[in-house]
Amino acid sequence: MIISVENLVKKYDGYTALDGLTFTVEHGDIFGFLGPNGAGKTTTIRILTAIIKADSGNVLIDGHDIFGEPLTVKKIINALPESNGYYEWMTGREYLQFFSNLYEEKTSGQEIYNLLGVVGLHDKEGHLIRSYSRGMKQRLGIARALINRPKLLFLDEPTNGLDPKGRRDIHDLLIGLNQKHGTTIFLSTHLLDDVERLCNRIAIINYGKIVRVGDLDRMKEKGTIEDIFFLSTKEGTL
Amino acid sequence: MKATYIMQKEIRESILTPKGFLWYILTSVILSVMSYLFLTNNELSLLDQGQMLYMIMNFITALGVLMGLVFGADAFAGEIERGTLEALFLSPVNKVEIATGKIGAALTNWGIIFAISLPYLFVVGKGGQNLLIGIVYLAFLGTFLAITFSAFSMGLSARIKSMKNSLIISFFIFLLAGAPIFLSAAQRRTWFGRILDLINPFADVINTFDSVVIDSQGFGYQVARVAIICGYLVLSVWFLKRSVSRLEM
Amino acid sequence: MKRSILFLSMIFLATAANYASASAGRITVSINPPSVQANMGDKITYAGTVTNNSDRAIDNIIAYISLANITPGKEAPLDLEDWSANKAIKVDTIPPHGTYEGQWPMRLIDSGSYVAYITVVDKNDNMPVSSPMSRLEIKRLLRLNPNNVLPVAIGEPVALGMVFMLVAFRRRKRVK
Repeated sequence: MIISVENLVKKYDGYTALDGLTFTVEHGDIFGFLGPNGAGKTTTIRILTAIIKADSGNVLIDGHDIFGEPLTVKKIINALPESNGYYEWMTGREYLQFFSNLYEEKTSGQEIYNLLGVVGLHDKEGHLIRSYSRGMKQRLGIARALINRPKLLFLDEPTNGLDPKGRRDIHDLLIGLNQKHGTTIFLSTHLLDDVERLCNRIAIINYGKIVRVGDLDRMKEKGTIEDIFFLSTKEGTL
Repeated sequence: MKATYIMQKEIRESILTPKGFLWYILTSVILSVMSYLFLTNNELSLLDQGQMLYMIMNFITALGVLMGLVFGADAFAGEIERGTLEALFLSPVNKVEIATGKIGAALTNWGIIFAISLPYLFVVGKGGQNLLIGIVYLAFLGTFLAITFSAFSMGLSARIKSMKNSLIISFFIFLLAGAPIFLSAAQRRTWFGRILDLINPFADVINTFDSVVIDSQGFGYQVARVAIICGYLVLSVWFLKRSVSRLEM
Repeated sequence: MKRSILFLSMIFLATAANYASASAGRITVSINPPSVQANMGDKITYAGTVTNNSDRAIDNIIAYISLANITPGKEAPLDLEDWSANKAIKVDTIPPHGTYEGQWPMRLIDSGSYVAYITVVDKNDNMPVSSPMSRLEIKRLLRLNPNNVLPVAIGEPVALGMVFMLVAFRRRKRVK
């Protein structure tokens, strides 16, 4: 198990964002994390990436307690948040170099160059980020999330705003990462096409609770992913 | 050390930029005008040399404090608003290290202002007896004040998470700190004025400059004020550490 | 009746006049030097001598210096705040036929034509007594580059501008 979440609770000013969330993710999964807006997806990712603390519950990432060893966990994970800002005055290369410097194991100049190639930004490495399109920025964000060769990668709506080609490129990249490098991917999205193409396991969250979790193929025996999603998140359904 | 990389990033983002340089060029122009007028204007040129030095030291300190406050207000609130803080928090850097890097950049900014002011201080204070000791006091107390106000402003920035509100409160603090200057000489001699003077770190610094540069008084006379300034320094750093430790997106 | 009133009035006026002239004669004040020519920024000292011409001691008098600007077009009394620290002196006592020497140092702040005089006030009298006026001519000094301020005042902003341009140019070269 690379992620073990048990009874996670998080409240904001009396509003319960996560209400006893419990699930696990295995090594090598591309794990889809679905839910309607406001279900608690981003809050979950923020807790699992040690950006915020939970009110109660346990989270183990690759055997490490996220609340007790946040810096240790951050060395083996990385994430692309939904609204990721960039230092637009930097070039793509400078941006990756900066983040590489924040890890003990630094990434060499050549490795950064290769990474930019992996995300298709070779010819943009010396350009200022402010000149990048939305899709390029998204790819740069993924490159940043891969800078430390993470065992576990969290992606929050990674294909948002991308054109079909952009989406396909990201899909291929993620599949390649998972199959060639064994990277576990935790994918939060409400684009069901992305889920169908990429994920082997999914969980559906609604009102801060897991309403369904399991292998995607097995779930699809009972209906389309769309039907499962709508049934699971119907008003009043838990 | 990771704080060094954060500091380098901050310096490149805020100091080595057209806007950053504009501040420094403007500072230099104002100091040029002040020095030139002090030394050539009919009436100003007859001010005591110590008086001229004192006035320039006050201006530089006030500028250092103001820029520290602005720097601090952007430190965390600005990054949150630009969406860049989350990526930083994802890295294995603890929040205190991030704050340390940002303070380092604020100090670098003060260091540049101090370096810019040195030629003017030498030119205006040339031949005067308290020039070197004045510069030493400016270096130390200016640094303490720069850290104090930057740290406080950064702590506010981390708590309020809004650049605009941070900036407004920081300017208000700046006005409060400068309040003794707005009191008349008679008001400053009242018990209220004396207390305000003593507990205000900015007033403590400028009164120390007055005592050292104009009245040629030794360190013994400055101990109480310097102690208060150091107290504020410790308090503001503690406030920053606490604010940043609790900072969540 | 009318004659009596007239006679009494004449006695009263004569007494008052005598009293004024007697008190004017009781104290005399002089100022030295009688005239000064100096430059702006110079420090000079006026010496004032207060003489008690009477047979009785004079107690608790105040002596102060005044300056008036008589430059054509700028005639006005002067506020001596920036010029002198020692404007009024209280003299405890001057013995009969004795003198008091006072000093009034001052820094010459502005150019122009002035007159200086010392005035003595005795609360027992009804008129102050002043010295003759001492003429004071202050020449203006034009200093274009004292302490070598110009190289710094012009040079530093220019140098900073050049550093900025160098940094911007190097960055532009590195960045596409």
